[in-house]
Amino acid sequence: MRLRLWSFALPALLIVVLFLIVPYLNIVLMSFRNPSPTAIYAPGFTIQNYVRVLTDSLYLGLLKDTLLYALATTSICLAVGFPVAFHLARTDSRWRGLLYAGVLSPLLTGVVIRCFGWIVLLANNGLINQLLGLAGLGPYRLMYNPIGVTIALVHVFLPFMILPIMNAIQSVDPRLGEAARTLGASGPRAFVRVLLPLSMPGIQSGVILVFVLSASAYIIPMLLGGGQVSTMPTVVVQQLMGGLLWPFGATLALVLSLSVLVLVALFGVLNRRVMRGVA
Amino acid sequence: MTAVQGVDLDVAEGEFVSLLGPSGCGKTTTLRCVAGLEEPSGGRILFGERDVTRLPSEHRMIGMVFQSYALFPHMTVRENIGFGLEMRGVRGGDADKRIAQVLDTVQLNGLEERYPRALSGGQQQRVALARAVVAEPQLLLLDEPLANLDAKLRDEMRFFIRSLQQRLGITTLYVTHDQSESMIMSDRIVVMFGGRIHQIGDPEDIYNRPASAEVANFIGQANMLKGKVVEARDGVATIEAAWGRFTCGTSRPVAAGSVVTAMVRPEALRLANGADRSDFTGRIVARHFLGNVFDYRIALADGTVISVQAMGGNAPPAEGQVSVKIDQEKAWLLQ
Repeated sequence: MRLRLWSFALPALLIVVLFLIVPYLNIVLMSFRNPSPTAIYAPGFTIQNYVRVLTDSLYLGLLKDTLLYALATTSICLAVGFPVAFHLARTDSRWRGLLYAGVLSPLLTGVVIRCFGWIVLLANNGLINQLLGLAGLGPYRLMYNPIGVTIALVHVFLPFMILPIMNAIQSVDPRLGEAARTLGASGPRAFVRVLLPLSMPGIQSGVILVFVLSASAYIIPMLLGGGQVSTMPTVVVQQLMGGLLWPFGATLALVLSLSVLVLVALFGVLNRRVMRGVA
Repeated sequence: MTAVQGVDLDVAEGEFVSLLGPSGCGKTTTLRCVAGLEEPSGGRILFGERDVTRLPSEHRMIGMVFQSYALFPHMTVRENIGFGLEMRGVRGGDADKRIAQVLDTVQLNGLEERYPRALSGGQQQRVALARAVVAEPQLLLLDEPLANLDAKLRDEMRFFIRSLQQRLGITTLYVTHDQSESMIMSDRIVVMFGGRIHQIGDPEDIYNRPASAEVANFIGQANMLKGKVVEARDGVATIEAAWGRFTCGTSRPVAAGSVVTAMVRPEALRLANGADRSDFTGRIVARHFLGNVFDYRIALADGTVISVQAMGGNAPPAEGQVSVKIDQEKAWLLQ
């Protein structure tokens, strides 16, 4: 019986192995290969690629920048998204459906289109600067710099923060907050001691999703960075497409992946204490 | 929308008062206003001399037990109970002592480190009670706390809550839709329908001297007897009905000749074979054995069918004509 149930998962397993695990192993393999000026890689294996990434301050700085973008995006998404998620979870307004659609709207168009939308808004002669101009301000440089990239990252990944948190809050009995109030907790204290820990599973999912997605974002930093902003993904693509340096590109990609993985694991461990008894 | 109107209620210190009514009658809204979880659009709420109408919940020094218990799922039993103490600045050894004491009171020793989901419904209920009373609130509010328990446990908990309340001497407001629950537990009962108070009184008052037909019907079974007032004085009215004449108690002046309805409980009627000095006669339509009593349906002369619960006694009548006698002090004139 157990074997037969297993067999249902086989097609999915096959796809995962074929299209996810094999390519990943290939990247791992590639990262240990020798570079070649004429081919994808030269014969033999080396750890030189890793030594270069981990000792060159250029690449370490790049890694730091990328993770900082991800961290900033995640923090802003959490700060902006939590109130929205809370409202959506608890409101009985008849506009709820519309609000929900609004939250999902960033997912309804392709990321490239959305980036061009932001370019229209943020450009030196864009809508926002024109409006500021009317008030006698600016123009401010809002894109082709970290500001523009962060704005677009937040916009695109915000739903991934809101939706899991909303789900978590929906499963928290509103009576719990009231019980805390009757027991002498002020509103903020009831929030910190009751609602926040109980929405932690949603916050954890949202934080991980947004962090991972924004650390690996390519199109947004490319389009809104306009070549002025470099992150690990943009440099990886440069290595592969421009320099044809596949082994080094693979190494950069893996270093980013592993760093993100380590941070996510660390976050999980830190969270375990808070999550105790929850879910 | 107004859920509750004209609720004027005075609860004495140490008193156990039930808010009783069908769902949607505003009893829970009233309780939530007292708890500070809802703000009334008008009126005032006083604790002693102190106006708390606009005072946030956390400053009211209350303890509340919710129907769903609302235990914090991410905290152990000890942490749940200690929460209110911590919020009120009681910490360390003093808090530990009080938690141990209250655990003793609700008989939950040994379960301190359990999480709520690892407890049975009855245990969760007792944790919720312990959590509500541990900080010695000046007012205990209970919102249908027994509704989610099975019948046997519910019976036990009624007595448990009542004795706990008496031992602590804590003023208590108890919301329920279960009339027997409110009768067993309360010093006084407030009967509510449609957002209004219909009657306030002790259980005997409510049962024997209901203010309205709604109250009479909600609290147990009642026979409604229509008739014309013959005379009324000294709190006793004589009523002439199509099938006979009877007397009942009344608290209001009624004019002779007015058409009224009186209420009499099924167990306040007595049956006898044949026709002795009885008030009137009727015909047995049906008889059911309920264990402790027989439940009779008896058709009166004008076709009115009344319910009578009578002890078996010797040779309880099974069919045919019977005479029916009304206990005068148990029949009551309705408004």
